[in-house]
Amino acid sequence: MDDRLRKRSSPFPLYEIPLRDAKVGDLKSLSEKLGLSLSIEEMARIQEYFRRIGREPTHVELQSLGQAWSEHCCYKSSKVFLKEFIFPVQAPYVLDRGDAGVVEFDEDHAYALRIESHNHPSAIEPYGGANTGIGGILRDVLAMGAQPIALADPLHFGPLDTPTEGLPKGTRHPKYLFGGVVAGIRDYGNRVGIPTVAGGIVFDEGYLGNIVVNVACVGFAKKSQLVRNRASSVRDVFILCGGKTGRDGIHGVTYASVDLTDRSVREWEAGAVQLGDPILKEPLIHACIESAQGGLLDGMKDLGGGGLSCVVGEMALAGGFGAEVDLERVPLKEEGLAPWEIWVSESQERMMLAVLPESVEKVLRIFELYDVPATVIGRAIPEKICRVRYRKATVLDLDLEFYTVGPEYTREYRPPRTVAMKDLKLPPEPTDYRTTILRLLAAPNIASKEYVIRQYDHEVRASTVIKPLQGVIGKAAHGDAAVVRPLVDSWRALAIATASTPHVTSLDPFLGGATAVDEVCRNLVAVGARPHSLTNCLNFGNPEKPDRLWSFREAARGLGATAKALGLPIPSGNVSFYNESPLGPCPPTPVVLGVGIVEDLRRCVTTDFKKSGDPVVLVGTTQAELGGSEYLRLQKKGQGPPPGVDPRALRAAIDHLLAAIGAGTVAACHDLSHGGLAVAAAEMALGGDLGADLKTTAMDPMRWDLQLFSESNGRWLVEVQKDRYEEFGHLMEGTPATFLGTTGGTSLHLGKGRQWTSLALPVMRKAWGETIPRQVVVT
Amino acid sequence: MVRVRVEVHLRKGVTDPEGDNVQKALTLLGFKGIGGVHSAKLFLIDLATKDTKVARKEAEEMCRRLLANPVIHEYSIAVEK
Amino acid sequence: MRRSSIRVGVVFIEGTNCEDESVAFFRHLGAQAERVHLKQLTGDVPAELRRDLDDYDLLMIPGGFAAGDYVRAGTIFAARLRSKLSKDLIAFVRSGKPVFGVCNGFQVLVEAGLLPALGATMTAAPEAVLATNDSGHYECRPSLLKLENGGSCVFTRGMKPGRVVTFISAHAEGKFLLPQNREKKMLKELVDNDQVVFRFVDDRGRYAGYPWNPSGTTYNIAAICNREGNVFGVQPHPERCFFRHLEPSWTRESGGDSQYGDGKALFESSLQYLEKRF
Repeated sequence: MDDRLRKRSSPFPLYEIPLRDAKVGDLKSLSEKLGLSLSIEEMARIQEYFRRIGREPTHVELQSLGQAWSEHCCYKSSKVFLKEFIFPVQAPYVLDRGDAGVVEFDEDHAYALRIESHNHPSAIEPYGGANTGIGGILRDVLAMGAQPIALADPLHFGPLDTPTEGLPKGTRHPKYLFGGVVAGIRDYGNRVGIPTVAGGIVFDEGYLGNIVVNVACVGFAKKSQLVRNRASSVRDVFILCGGKTGRDGIHGVTYASVDLTDRSVREWEAGAVQLGDPILKEPLIHACIESAQGGLLDGMKDLGGGGLSCVVGEMALAGGFGAEVDLERVPLKEEGLAPWEIWVSESQERMMLAVLPESVEKVLRIFELYDVPATVIGRAIPEKICRVRYRKATVLDLDLEFYTVGPEYTREYRPPRTVAMKDLKLPPEPTDYRTTILRLLAAPNIASKEYVIRQYDHEVRASTVIKPLQGVIGKAAHGDAAVVRPLVDSWRALAIATASTPHVTSLDPFLGGATAVDEVCRNLVAVGARPHSLTNCLNFGNPEKPDRLWSFREAARGLGATAKALGLPIPSGNVSFYNESPLGPCPPTPVVLGVGIVEDLRRCVTTDFKKSGDPVVLVGTTQAELGGSEYLRLQKKGQGPPPGVDPRALRAAIDHLLAAIGAGTVAACHDLSHGGLAVAAAEMALGGDLGADLKTTAMDPMRWDLQLFSESNGRWLVEVQKDRYEEFGHLMEGTPATFLGTTGGTSLHLGKGRQWTSLALPVMRKAWGETIPRQVVVT
Repeated sequence: MVRVRVEVHLRKGVTDPEGDNVQKALTLLGFKGIGGVHSAKLFLIDLATKDTKVARKEAEEMCRRLLANPVIHEYSIAVEK
Repeated sequence: MRRSSIRVGVVFIEGTNCEDESVAFFRHLGAQAERVHLKQLTGDVPAELRRDLDDYDLLMIPGGFAAGDYVRAGTIFAARLRSKLSKDLIAFVRSGKPVFGVCNGFQVLVEAGLLPALGATMTAAPEAVLATNDSGHYECRPSLLKLENGGSCVFTRGMKPGRVVTFISAHAEGKFLLPQNREKKMLKELVDNDQVVFRFVDDRGRYAGYPWNPSGTTYNIAAICNREGNVFGVQPHPERCFFRHLEPSWTRESGGDSQYGDGKALFESSLQYLEKRF
């Protein structure tokens, strides 16, 4: 300990920090010495508080403030923009906005949704980082009283074929990170028994220094078992349940709130990354749900960033009370933990329950059957203060609002000096379209992810009615969304899909946010689901740099505006800042999880071509839009603005297409995204093991590569039931629907007047299927 | 207290997918000249006895009832002082 | 006995994760079913939670990662079963009551010596093992299984031999292995005794390799039973194809009236056996 600190007399080390008379230079060094990651202004605010109450802070109090005021815990840089653009997007069927958003499913039931980032820990220890990411997101949904029913993971890495030389010191190779993250998600998700049904993997050089690992969870509950994240009564008692508390993860949140440099990596390597315990989590979920179903809980919240130091205050304040905690009652993993360590530890698998005294016995008995530790550690009090005691000494005594609410900043934002590429400059036209299409199919962002998907149990709980891989057995290809059936005696179901748009956002962040919403809606509609609610995770660089913050603000603005125009509420969200390394900021990455309602799952459709002789129709409008496309990235030439987003046209298209699917006129449906029309058609052919003959003459005079590879939004490729074609046409009136050709044969023929090409199924399958397994092994 | 080292490994001839996969992963990460990778499980068991014979017998029983499946495993036991 | 008086016990410990749907599906077919923690059977619970094996007519050990699959899949669960319930289990099996092990449950039955049970009802040491998949990792994929059993197995009596069903494989340790020096002999015994119930096939009915055989399992074995046919272990999950809309290719088929998938037959068969026999 620093020799400026004065020791208080107590049966254990308890220090007092001479803050009230400290000079500006001392404030900065104190924050660094104690690992608080607080700015001088923030330290000054704390100094002012203690001057006002007339005493010095204990070191426990300063540590606690460091946790509670970190970016990760209180969103100080993002709150102002989220309040402006995201939070206001609402709908009457949103029931709660807590640790997870809760949305109405039907008269008696609700679903919960949440997405989170685990970028920093995964960059250092990918297995543990991803592992604990899953653990954390499950707890957020569980905290609402909802049974987790599905997981999704949008992942972003550097290219797998990056040469080892040239990686900066301390930066791990993408192969290592990829393998670790996939294994971490797999081992946790599979063991805890929640199916991983959706997600995506994006590769880009921009992620070399900063991987982006987002994890999402959807839960389900009877409305009567829903719980709020707060104490509901001043008589409530706090029960800490789940894993024991140890030294793991101390300073996890303060670490996630700074850039990744080699020094910060080494410093936090020891403490900041933890390991999850899914075998403890599995019965913990059972015990919490059983308690909620029994009406025994007044409140529940998960312990995440900051551990006890954040959860107790937040639960109490949200209820309008204060809290008193006795740290001695906390079950510990090892001897000798100092009280501040107990208070800020981020040990995994812990939940906090608020329970009326008369229900405590029943709750403890439920946990005992499952062999899950549960201990009363404190209670609510009427005064809005947080008081923590250890061995008869008071180690923390703070005004709860001051402690928990944290600062809020409107930092400076400014667009970067480089101007967006407004002019479309086409690359030279391919001389061999066949090779170009095969190269696109083999591109890491498009290639088959079956190697990864089959390692995740996407079938556990026997509820996955539309699966992530769709088609003929042994030949299945990627689907657009998964559908989970929450109730055995109902045909009503939930569709789940994700979308991530770093390439568009790099060119135009407003459009990047908007495109993420457009894409996720297309994915949901492709299986026959009506988009119902969204949640987002915004992954950006250092918000203290004006251009990163501008980018974030624009993406939030685009996301919010598009969601609003489509009538989609965003009941929860997450922001991850400081994704920067010596190589620069990560690509600006807005990620969206969409949940859709399926009225009758018997009407759902999948992407695979079904029958020979069926008409194939392109829904939507194709424009000459290549900015951010896989095609331009492949050709390494050419540039242009990214595709526009038209929420009005999209809304109409969604209505028409859902009507067509609901009427049973559609045999297969696939949204168009990476690689445009050519890739979408190839994927449908591969999954159905059935070719097609498609002519794109209707798009003339557009150049053929633009027709095939443009990534315009709002489009789907549809295989229509042959004998329902006329009906389909009527239902689609008002939305452009262009006949392209028919299914059949063992090759994909694409043509336009005198230009044409043919790709045999086995050749496409080889190109599409080999890329990932050839480059990486997940152990 | 004595500490017993129980190492459980696969019998000769039994496929070792874990070892094979680790070898493949190492090769993909750029390591050269790997002759083979063989997986094994190591259990370090602290027993409340000072008698090495007793400790060894206990560990044998543990292998029989839990730690090793005789169909595919062999094990070795070493008692540390 | 009447269907509604059949009592099914689905046994679980920490890490077992398929118990909810298993209970739901037995109930759906009209039987009584409940989840029962192993502790309730071994007595480490308050009196009102106590259960006995005798309380049940059918015992199921569902899928999951019981005890994390630490040490070896199924082995800790099996060891805990054997340490307190050996006598009761042997009596249960000998009485002819069905025991249904799915995936992790199959692993438990093998580690506990209840399958293939060539040497005794419950052998002192395991006679087989379900080892790590040849691919070295978890495999979640639909599998085609051909029914080999001629009628001894109570879980497949209602089904025609030669029929090919779809179940969902989801495991990292599914490779059925017999001791190397006795493999040929034991395999012959299993076949002669009609103990091989299902074998993995490809989409043309051939006993193919990976990925149709997801683990490299001996003789493409996907499920076996004991000599009497009442103890049954299956590696892929039938409950995950209980309903038609859980099967992987249902959007490719025109449907028909049945709401059920291939997996239902196993549940139904075992209940019909109990109705007739007890």
